[in-house]
Amino acid sequence: MLSYILRRILSTLPVMAIVALFVFSLLYIAPGDPAAVIAGDQASPADVERIRQSLGLDRPFLVQFGSWVWDILHGNLGTSIFTNLPVSKMIAQRIEPTLSLMAITLVLTILVAVPLGVVAAWKAGSWIDRTIMAFAVFAFSLPVFVVGYVLAYVFALQFEWLPVQGYTPLSNGVWPWFQNLILPSLALGSVYIALIARITRASMLEVLQQDYVRTARAKGLDQRSILFVHALKNAAVPIVTVIGIGIALLIGGAVVTESVFAIPGLGRLTIDAILRRDYPVIQGIVLVFSFVYVLVNLMVDVTYTLVDPRIRY
Amino acid sequence: MDRRTVLKGLAGVGSLAATGGLSMPALSQGAAARTLRFVPQANLANFDPIWGTQYVVRNAAAMVWDTLYGVDAKLQPQRQMVESEQVSDDGLVWTFKLRPGLKFHDGEPVRAKDVVASLTRWSARDPMGLMLKAIQNELTAVDDKTFKWSLKQPYPKMLLALAKNNAPCSFIMPERLAQTDPFKQINDYVGSGPMKFVKGEWVPGAKAVFEKFTDYVPRQEKASWLAGGKQMLIDRIEWVVIPDPATAAAALQNGEVDWWENPLSDLVPTLKKNRNISVDIADPLGNIGSFRMNHLHPPFDNVKARRAVLMAMSQEDYMRAVVGDDTALWKPIPGFFTPDTPLYTEQGGEILKGKRDFDAAKKLLAESGYSGQPVTCVVAQDQPITKAQGDVTADLLKRLGMNVDFVATDWGTVGSRRAQKTPPGQGGWQMFHSWHAGADCINPAAYTAIRANGEKAWFGWPTSPNVEKEVVNWFEAKSVDEEKAAVGRLNQSALEDVVYAPTGFFLSYTAWRKNVSGIAKGPLPFFWDVSKTA
Repeated sequence: MLSYILRRILSTLPVMAIVALFVFSLLYIAPGDPAAVIAGDQASPADVERIRQSLGLDRPFLVQFGSWVWDILHGNLGTSIFTNLPVSKMIAQRIEPTLSLMAITLVLTILVAVPLGVVAAWKAGSWIDRTIMAFAVFAFSLPVFVVGYVLAYVFALQFEWLPVQGYTPLSNGVWPWFQNLILPSLALGSVYIALIARITRASMLEVLQQDYVRTARAKGLDQRSILFVHALKNAAVPIVTVIGIGIALLIGGAVVTESVFAIPGLGRLTIDAILRRDYPVIQGIVLVFSFVYVLVNLMVDVTYTLVDPRIRY
Repeated sequence: MDRRTVLKGLAGVGSLAATGGLSMPALSQGAAARTLRFVPQANLANFDPIWGTQYVVRNAAAMVWDTLYGVDAKLQPQRQMVESEQVSDDGLVWTFKLRPGLKFHDGEPVRAKDVVASLTRWSARDPMGLMLKAIQNELTAVDDKTFKWSLKQPYPKMLLALAKNNAPCSFIMPERLAQTDPFKQINDYVGSGPMKFVKGEWVPGAKAVFEKFTDYVPRQEKASWLAGGKQMLIDRIEWVVIPDPATAAAALQNGEVDWWENPLSDLVPTLKKNRNISVDIADPLGNIGSFRMNHLHPPFDNVKARRAVLMAMSQEDYMRAVVGDDTALWKPIPGFFTPDTPLYTEQGGEILKGKRDFDAAKKLLAESGYSGQPVTCVVAQDQPITKAQGDVTADLLKRLGMNVDFVATDWGTVGSRRAQKTPPGQGGWQMFHSWHAGADCINPAAYTAIRANGEKAWFGWPTSPNVEKEVVNWFEAKSVDEEKAAVGRLNQSALEDVVYAPTGFFLSYTAWRKNVSGIAKGPLPFFWDVSKTA
């Protein structure tokens, strides 16, 4: 297992290299000019050109790419064109809110979606199943930002139970931290809950038809043990796979959610960097996201061995 | 007791248990009253007011760095860091003396050598500074408190240049910072103004924090815009960046922020209904919308085509698209200068007045030789003002019989594409939209968009010797009457040659919680004299 994990980690290197080349090339050919944004609307074309030169943006593609790769190999993600801060520092400033949001969303999703899916499968065809699936379709169809606005309107503006926006670091206390993340997690989690609930239901329906489930019932096992001990464990592989894929959804959803709830996370940093053409920041974030995604896939593969003993690496 | 209170109570217990008592103590009422939470118009992405000339940088910098002179609400330059000035009889040598007690945030006194370095850096970037630099003999520190600016020819607008609020302002920094290449960013923020920038708490895109500089010595006069005694009644100002307008509106209603600089006009009716919120015009100088044509390429290289646009355009259409039906927020302007300011003029503005004449405009367009080639309109969709103007323009040009190539893009792309002088088919463009702060359009000093000096002009590169002649006349004017006459002729020439097409004058609102007081109307948010009760 250990050698498998090491091999997988090593295999991320070419993936990261390809991602780096792709992102750098894409940004190079994309329209837009950070120098023009920096100079401001009233700047003269000569000013814009001087700023472009001072940033080294007038250098040939290969020179710029080589310089960037060289820095990365030395553990340096570069410096933001706009803030003059190291990209690694900017990412470090923003990673806690995003990880917090993703973690709470993930926990919330699993706690809500898996039982819903199991119950829907258990009561397949009943009004309970139809209600849960109707909810799933509804939640899946609503854009995250719409859910966000509705939640903020109801729970922040009308009831005044929760804050509308912002983020409080965990070091300032668990409740202040959690309080700011409840509405964003619900908004971000709505689509994800719907997806996982549907997958869990489908997977459970298949497993509940198996002979060993019938045997368990014949032996007089209680329904909870059958569903959650025997059936769910055997239905878990596709669920774990979708949870893993869903983390990519979460990353995408976090961009929108962080904007709606003004959470200073990586999603908002991504949008700001793209709109300003802050190339080093965009490249740094994409590399980090790629790495996280590769890591999540690895974790999913390792989790398979825990839920299904037949899988060995 | 409401549910939130219960939850807060539970939270206190929960967090104490979970963190072993590490949670932050709640702010006392006094502390809350000494902290102002402000939502700026945009993200403070950099903090060098000479290197980056965005308004948001200028607005933050005005707290942190002081200026030698400051323009007041009557648009007049007033002494700020300067105690006195003398100009030689021939107008060639200016001698300035700094007032006593000036200190930088690191405790060092402000010396003349700091001023010289700051003005040198500023004059490499600012249009008026560049004019000064071009006629400069030398700029030297005479002693710690005195510096001298010697010129080759008189420059009557010297005090205005040092006082103006148009970016970049001539902010005074320590010499070691001011010696930074003006095209490179400073990375230390030691200021000379009433608030200190807290670099350690700066999260670009999310938050910027300013704390009161207790050693700042304000002038004795009452504050008026950038002039007078900048008395800070607030200890700490937090700039909270909220990119989504609906969220910002909700945060203001919920009391999570105290002051929102620039609410979207669509949301203003909701804010006005809230009894805890005040809403008022932010800046009486407003903004002027701009339809910028490329003078280098057909069809707008021909003045007849440009005049056809002026004849057909309805400023009312543009303004209703930009700010809605609230007629208190906009007015048509037959010219280029800010209404209700001393130099405002409508001279030569007949072409923008009265009923729009499409038949005459089409005839003029045909005379220009236009024969249906695509007209590339580059329109930023992520800026509500440019998007609204772009939609009206597309309709206008189609009604004129033009073949519109509508390029919907973002502001970052417009910023780079508009700098291209190549033909539209090769990455260039024929028109784009922008808007100019009314404070920049009160006179020709910082009004780069009105200049028509060809290759050196702003994007679109208009050429009009008459316009340039009147700009020079304004700079050399020795009385207000001479200034008015020059600006009148300038307005007329700029309309005849259609330097650009003004789409109208519009205002915007600002909104704040009613426990905040002392907010002044002006071209930027002024934080001195602002106070807050818990």
